[in-house]
Amino acid sequence: MTRILVVDDEPQIRRALSLHLGARGYEVFEADTGERAIQVAATEHPDVVLLDLGLPGMDGALVIQALRGWTEMPIIVLSVRDDERSKVQALDAGADDYVTKPFGMAELLARVRAVLRRPSGTQESKADVNTSSFRLDLAAHRAFVVDGEGDGEVRLTPTEWAMVEYLVRYPGRLVTYRQLITAVWGPTYDPDPNLLRVHMAHIRRKLEVDGARPKHFITDSGMGYRFDDEA
Amino acid sequence: MPRGALRIYLGAAPGVGKTYAMLGEGQRRMERGADVVVGVVETHGREHTLAQLGDLAVLPRIGVEYRGTTLHEMDVEAILRRRPDVVLVDEYAHTNAPGSRNEKRWQDVELLLGAGIDVISTVNVQHFESLNDVISEITGTVQRETVPDAVVRRADQIELVDMTPEALRRRMAHGNIYPAERVDAALNNYFRPGNLGALRELALLWVADRVEESLTTYLAAHGISKTWETRERIVVGITGRRGGDVSIRRAARMAGRVGGDLVGVHVFSEDGLSTDGDEELAVQRLLVEQLGGRVHDVVATSPAKGLVSFAQAEKATQLVLGASRRGRVQEVLHGSFAGRVIRAAHGLDVHVIADQDLPAEPRRQPARPDARVRRRRLVAWGVTVLGLPVLVAITVPFRAALTLSTDLLVYLAMVLAIAAIGGRVVAVIAAVLASLLLNWFFVLPYHTFTIAQPENVVSLLVFVGLAIAVGSLVDIAARRAHESQRARVEATALARSAATLAADPDALPGLVEQIRTTFALDRVRLVPDDGARRGYDTSDAQLASPPVGTLRVGVAVAPGAAYELELYGRPLSNDDLRVLRALVDQLAVAIDRSQLGREAAEAEALAQIDAARTALLRAVSHDLRTPLASIKAMVSGLLESDEVQWRPEQVHDALVTVDEETDRLNRLVGDLLDASRLQIGALAVNCQSIDVAESIGVILAGIGSAADRVEVEVPSGLPPAWGDSALLERSLDNIVTNALRHGGSSRVRITVGVVGHEIHVCVIDRGPGIPEHLRARVMAPFQQFGDGRAAGGVGLGMSIAQGFVQAMHGRLELDDTPGGGLTVVIALPVADLADAA
Repeated sequence: MTRILVVDDEPQIRRALSLHLGARGYEVFEADTGERAIQVAATEHPDVVLLDLGLPGMDGALVIQALRGWTEMPIIVLSVRDDERSKVQALDAGADDYVTKPFGMAELLARVRAVLRRPSGTQESKADVNTSSFRLDLAAHRAFVVDGEGDGEVRLTPTEWAMVEYLVRYPGRLVTYRQLITAVWGPTYDPDPNLLRVHMAHIRRKLEVDGARPKHFITDSGMGYRFDDEA
Repeated sequence: MPRGALRIYLGAAPGVGKTYAMLGEGQRRMERGADVVVGVVETHGREHTLAQLGDLAVLPRIGVEYRGTTLHEMDVEAILRRRPDVVLVDEYAHTNAPGSRNEKRWQDVELLLGAGIDVISTVNVQHFESLNDVISEITGTVQRETVPDAVVRRADQIELVDMTPEALRRRMAHGNIYPAERVDAALNNYFRPGNLGALRELALLWVADRVEESLTTYLAAHGISKTWETRERIVVGITGRRGGDVSIRRAARMAGRVGGDLVGVHVFSEDGLSTDGDEELAVQRLLVEQLGGRVHDVVATSPAKGLVSFAQAEKATQLVLGASRRGRVQEVLHGSFAGRVIRAAHGLDVHVIADQDLPAEPRRQPARPDARVRRRRLVAWGVTVLGLPVLVAITVPFRAALTLSTDLLVYLAMVLAIAAIGGRVVAVIAAVLASLLLNWFFVLPYHTFTIAQPENVVSLLVFVGLAIAVGSLVDIAARRAHESQRARVEATALARSAATLAADPDALPGLVEQIRTTFALDRVRLVPDDGARRGYDTSDAQLASPPVGTLRVGVAVAPGAAYELELYGRPLSNDDLRVLRALVDQLAVAIDRSQLGREAAEAEALAQIDAARTALLRAVSHDLRTPLASIKAMVSGLLESDEVQWRPEQVHDALVTVDEETDRLNRLVGDLLDASRLQIGALAVNCQSIDVAESIGVILAGIGSAADRVEVEVPSGLPPAWGDSALLERSLDNIVTNALRHGGSSRVRITVGVVGHEIHVCVIDRGPGIPEHLRARVMAPFQQFGDGRAAGGVGLGMSIAQGFVQAMHGRLELDDTPGGGLTVVIALPVADLADAA
């Protein structure tokens, strides 16, 4: 059974999450402070941590750092702070995703599933990616646009291909700008943030039906990109 | 009890009739029906005074034993027991016998005044502490009995009993003051006409001071803040000479006496006369500033004229100088500085202050360049007039043995020497003279002014030409030296303005003012070329004439923008304009700086407002979104029910949570509305007699299950409080909810009690408490910034509670719970039953 640790100082939120996650077959642990959260994480080894940032005493960002000191367990931040700085701070500290309150239960459940999914790149069988708009042949490095009368092949530059390849490996999951840059250019590269935006615009123009209204390569404002294969 | 009134009769000398006047006033008041007693009176056996005593009641004095004799002092206790309306107390400055209640009689008088008794008293001007030493110098008698001026000045009325010295001496001669045997001695001693005149003048002056003081109070009381037009301005010359501080101090005293302004001025002479003694100069500048004055610098060709024209431009009334320290010979040669100032100063009082006995000033080593040039010219003339004939006398006997060219060289040497010493003019004269002498004595034919050979004409012309050339060179060198002196002076002026710039964040007015004084202008205006920026003008008056000069001041802050510096007054020389341009550059820097400073301040203020707004928005959005988040999570979870079978109790739980959170949200919106109502003062308060216990019951019912953790102690027979029950319930609700939230799982106690005329409701929790220094913050609305203490919310609760309690004329206080935690006390007045009925 998948184990989820819910960290929030608001009992009502904890109650709501326990009820709904429990009803969907997850085992839920609760913690109302950062200190308690670290304790429970160490003893219960949950598969996912849902963490509020505004905790009394130890702040949520510190909790992330403390957890990242010894574990890679996915952390999804739940916070009312919707400014870019808070998001970047939490993601840089090592959070995997960031959901602003108030959130819909369906969205949260989708994010939880996304972080729990194994990266598809490690599985040989996942050599193909199929969406409603395009089809990728990962082994052959070829991309085809799905059109009414048949598939038309499009050419992606090596950089675009590297970005797409990395994003589709984590469907539904947030890929931060930093993660993407590290994956494509290496950890020491520090490009202009506009560079990613330009490449992404090209990718969307080539692969999406409507480049201005992307359905698969979604921008999570201030945080990064998310590949959605279900749309 | 109102304090009694004090009236003092002030006399210049004994015998002018103070006691008489005091007794007369006592009689008048008694006739008007007041209860008047004489506390103490010294009649000195004068019969007119005794007669004036009439039927006034004289209280017996009290005897004080001191070293075997009995001294009789005023019996203060008796007066206080008797409680008259008015008491007459002679000799205000009297010193009581040792062992008396007070050391001084004026202290006794203070007691009487404090008891509400009016006092009429007398005092002589010689007893004033401030005048004590002056008077002992005038009269030669040391006065031991003194009274502080301030004590006398506190009197409600001071009346001067005035009498001319002659009349007083006549009264004395008639034996009305002292017994006959002491009259002669007194007349020749203390009562000399000169003494009496001086004392009378001092008394008049002192009263005049007093008059001015009441004038100042009048002005202040009537809100007249404009500078008193007749204010005196006293200008003192600052020289940097040793001992100059004496005249500065004197000028400051003069200014202090008349309540005027002190202005120090230092004249930079163009010949650099005053540039030595810079250290002392700085000290003296500082001294002027410390004495409340300001310092100006002026450049002028003649220090005397510069000083006077500055004083006149500043509309000064008095000019103070130190006496010149020049020797007698120099004074005859150049005239005294003070003399020149006095000749130039029309309509100005000039005070020349004599030196203190200081060690002689070391003679100034470099003589004035002017004087040096003049002296050299004198020497050159002497050499011309005396040296040339001597040379003739020496060389004529040998003229047969020498050729003319040798003679020419000898005389050329002489003329060049004169030229080197005295410059061009002397050189030309000497050259012409020498050539005539040569022609007369050495050129054949001798003793005629004719020249036989044309060659000799050429020699003579070359001779004169050389002399002129050398003389001109010497003159040019001298002029260069003079110019460099002036440059040095200008550099000093610039350095000073640079110092102003460095020291003062808003140096603009100072610099403009400095330009005005440095160039002795009437007015300087700095006009921006568009109206948006701030200019500066040294005067508010209407412009009378067009400017004598206009300079453009470019600024860096706003490219393209510029200021015009308009100068009014005397015409400006080219030299002036040159220095002005340099000063204008500094002005531009000052403008830039003040502009940048202003912009930085504005930006900082905006940033602070911005930060506060951001924090508030963040806090409000946190508090609104937290309950929304729970509701949304619950409801959206229930909606997403395709794969889940909900049990009824689960749905119930979810709905309870949604219900609670909706209430919470509603309360928060209510809080926000209340807070804004409090802030704009739109709160309706309906105070009446209310039962506090009932209000507590109401809010506990509203809290729900958590109310089980609350203990309430209300004593029986609690009187009703005066307040608005709706507001009290809101306040209590906020406080109790806070206590339950922060108090952890421990219990919260509510106790009610009567303290004095107030009912105190104490809400006591055992939570973490609030440190003393944060309590004011908790009370301010929207203070719980950020969402770190999410449980506390925006922190509106406390501030609303306080606002409501204050609106009911009650108090809300935070206190420590003994043993840890917070105690909130609501204090409301006990309802007055008469009011409530």
